[in-house]
Amino acid sequence: MQHIKQIWQLRLAHYSSELQKYMRFIFTGHIAIVIVFLLGAGGYQYSEWLKVVTSDFPVAWVMGGILGFAIAWSHPVTLLKEPDAVYLLPLEEKMPSYFSAANQFTFFSKIMISIALYIAAIPLLKVVSPITIQMIWLGLGIVIVLKYLHVQIEFAYRYVTRGDLIWLDRLLRFIGSGFTVMTYLNGWYYVTVCLFLLQLVYLIWLKKKMYGLPVPYEHFITIEQNRMMRFYRFANYFTDVPHLRGAVRRRQWLDMSYRLVPYQQKKAQHYLVWRTFIRTNDHFYLWLRLTVISALVAAFVDITMVRFIMAGALAFATAIQLQQALTKAGAFRMDMLYPLPDWARKQAATSVVRLIIILQAVIVMVSHMWQPYFYITGIIIVTVGFVTQKMMK
Amino acid sequence: MAILELTKVTGGYTRKPVIQDVSFSLNKGELVGLIGLNGAGKSTTIKHIIGTLLAKSGDVHLNGVTLQENMEKYRTSFSYIPETPVLYDELTLKEHLELTAMAYGLDELTLKERSALLLKEFRMERRLNWFPSHFSKGMRQKVMIMCAFLVDPPLYIIDEPFVGLDPLGIQSLLDQMNVKKQEGASILMSTHILSTAERYCDRIILLHEGRVRAQGTMDELRAIFHMPDATLDDIYIVMAKEQDHATH
Repeated sequence: MQHIKQIWQLRLAHYSSELQKYMRFIFTGHIAIVIVFLLGAGGYQYSEWLKVVTSDFPVAWVMGGILGFAIAWSHPVTLLKEPDAVYLLPLEEKMPSYFSAANQFTFFSKIMISIALYIAAIPLLKVVSPITIQMIWLGLGIVIVLKYLHVQIEFAYRYVTRGDLIWLDRLLRFIGSGFTVMTYLNGWYYVTVCLFLLQLVYLIWLKKKMYGLPVPYEHFITIEQNRMMRFYRFANYFTDVPHLRGAVRRRQWLDMSYRLVPYQQKKAQHYLVWRTFIRTNDHFYLWLRLTVISALVAAFVDITMVRFIMAGALAFATAIQLQQALTKAGAFRMDMLYPLPDWARKQAATSVVRLIIILQAVIVMVSHMWQPYFYITGIIIVTVGFVTQKMMK
Repeated sequence: MAILELTKVTGGYTRKPVIQDVSFSLNKGELVGLIGLNGAGKSTTIKHIIGTLLAKSGDVHLNGVTLQENMEKYRTSFSYIPETPVLYDELTLKEHLELTAMAYGLDELTLKERSALLLKEFRMERRLNWFPSHFSKGMRQKVMIMCAFLVDPPLYIIDEPFVGLDPLGIQSLLDQMNVKKQEGASILMSTHILSTAERYCDRIILLHEGRVRAQGTMDELRAIFHMPDATLDDIYIVMAKEQDHATH
């Protein structure tokens, strides 16, 4: 028994160090600035909206929808690895204690989202919900218990069916947990209790079916691999993840844009760099992400100063990251031998980045054209972008 | 007239030189084999010629100029086929050819004519819009070869050319090399497949532990080593052993 617990402990230690390694890059990158600003701006807008919200706002339904989704989405995190399907086979009978540790970890790693969502809604509930303040706080307990239940259910369901029709299970649980929250917030407590018991019965039924079934290693391993891949792909937006580098896509619909580069010897590097930008997922999505965030902020934030600061910060991030990415000299490339001046590559990268900064400015301006001074946002983006490029020379 | 001339080139990656006092030259229309075992300094010598490594001492003249004297003339005077294909993941085969043509200042008509011939010769016409990720090792090598021949320079530098190519591909490459030779181009080919070198090269440069041990035609080499009727393999083995005796 001690042995299997140790395996879990080792796995967990290894997993958290892997997570920390990449988290460092994620939270020191531009996303950290974006999150802080978005939370600040979002919080401000929310508090302004609370002053004017009317009591007929369907808070119970909205919270039921949001929390129902957050609660039903309960992937088990088992930290199983491919070789386990062979090496852990002799330990089959001891695996329940491994999985109970895994389920606890799943619960604690996911519960924060539901708690944060509920707490964020409390000021709104105080204004529009029919239930008393004590009952609102008790609701937080209900959410926590529901989440615990659903982590157990999803694990048991996958154990029994190996993931068959998991969407149906999730849909049912989304409805179940959503309605539990909704009825509670409306003060229909009897219905809440019934729904809750129904979900408990579902879990007990699944647990009974689990009995005697072998551990579905392959299914859990696939879930783990997919989950880690998603994380690596996400981390790859911020730093180089070694086993994920350089995915390329054709993006045929942008073929038209290649006509921008004429057939001339001095444009050879432009020809290459423009295609590198369009077709390398890392570069292209970096630009797209920063531009979309900038446009959304411009469109939905009412505070002019915040719009300006965000647009400038994001233009800075766009310029510095893409200029670096497109000029970095790593391994040997054939263009290093071309009979072109040494500065040709840098010049090509500079003009490509300049073009996409202008494009970003246009998109962001269009996103909030009805606001006063929208053209100043554009001027800020272009100025910050160009100055950043100049400074890097 | 020598198209390529190395004079007492010493250099390497770190302070400790990999090649020392390497001198040789290539005349117009010559196919010369640069021969040596793994680690003899073949690739390092080539890197000094193509200019990705700079010599600590000595000079490399290509088409009459050094890289420092006239970068453009130097670089347009050769094309290079590396041992491991180096392709752009984000460019199709067609775009590799187009980019090369642009960079070397070929006009569009020349690009069209030359690439049509090369694509046919290497049986790649139907793969024009493919990306390198879909190519086999041999196909990647063919892309490199086509780009090199597209430029039509006075000197070809080819590193281990036959590795990864199928027999038809090898034949096409040899044919192309022959055509270019007839037209007056020179070829420096590095390999450690000695039988191939013996068969195709006009002259051989034997590189051992970073130095030129001997150079000349096969007959000249046999005379130097006092080994009439010897093959290049025989000569090489003797040379490697005498070097071992000298160091021990």
